[in-house]
Amino acid sequence: MRTNDIILQTVTKIVSFIILMFALHIFFAGHNNPGGGFVGGLLTSGAIVLLLLAYDIKSVANSLPIDFKIMVAVGLLFAVGTGVGSFLFDVPFLTHAFGEFTLPLLGKTHLHTAVLFDIGVYLVVVGSTLTIIQTIGEGE
Amino acid sequence: MAFQILLNFLLAFTWMFFESSMETSTFIIGYLLGMLVIFFMRRFFSSRFYVYRIYSIIKLILIFLRELLLSNLAVLKVVLQPKLNIRPGIFAMETKLTSDWEITLLANLITLTPGTLVVDISPDNKILYVHAVDIEDAEEAIEDIRGSFEKAIMEVSR
Repeated sequence: MRTNDIILQTVTKIVSFIILMFALHIFFAGHNNPGGGFVGGLLTSGAIVLLLLAYDIKSVANSLPIDFKIMVAVGLLFAVGTGVGSFLFDVPFLTHAFGEFTLPLLGKTHLHTAVLFDIGVYLVVVGSTLTIIQTIGEGE
Repeated sequence: MAFQILLNFLLAFTWMFFESSMETSTFIIGYLLGMLVIFFMRRFFSSRFYVYRIYSIIKLILIFLRELLLSNLAVLKVVLQPKLNIRPGIFAMETKLTSDWEITLLANLITLTPGTLVVDISPDNKILYVHAVDIEDAEEAIEDIRGSFEKAIMEVSR
């Protein structure tokens, strides 16, 4: 007999949003504060694992139709892409560039290409964590 | 829809506390990031992602403004004609809309279309009685316009 997990599901629905928001905060805090792509990615996969605990594997896969193996590939592409991009400016592999920009909302911002590399790390971490968990979960 | 907007506001405030900055720009950034998160999780809600609905509301407003302009030009043309060769009449029109505000909105929009005016609504809210300035060529064209209005309203309320 299946128990009724309505409380767990309702709380999960709200809490997972806060976790995802905190993951974004951690991700953007990476440069000057503790945080970055790795913890941000782990927190994001933590939110999805919470969803997997509250719902079954099938309904989560229906609601988030993402192939996490492709997500890993896209993440690696981001990381390699920022490295290769440095060749365009005649500098060694993985040389990063940065600059001060004035953006409409953020004001004076220090933009760094390391963020693009971090997005790659983020996607790889989320993709590989969830591939591991879903593969183990699906196996009988 | 209201729940999603409320959640988006909550997420924006959560972001402000995470960043420990109480400025408007932080709120806006938090709101946009929250919108992203809600978009990512949109299939967990029973209703659609609320931004689609806001988009259809804006579309309805634009349709309203266009029809307002066109109806006034049409009336101008009728008034300035030297001979009054119009054939007024009243026809019944069925509607699929159910809630009160939808019918009110549809009736008001029909009233603003060129050459039509809602006279009465049947007691069971199913049939609108529309007065047309020129009943001969009106019927067909008005069915088209009504289709676009009814569809636009349904897109908002669906």
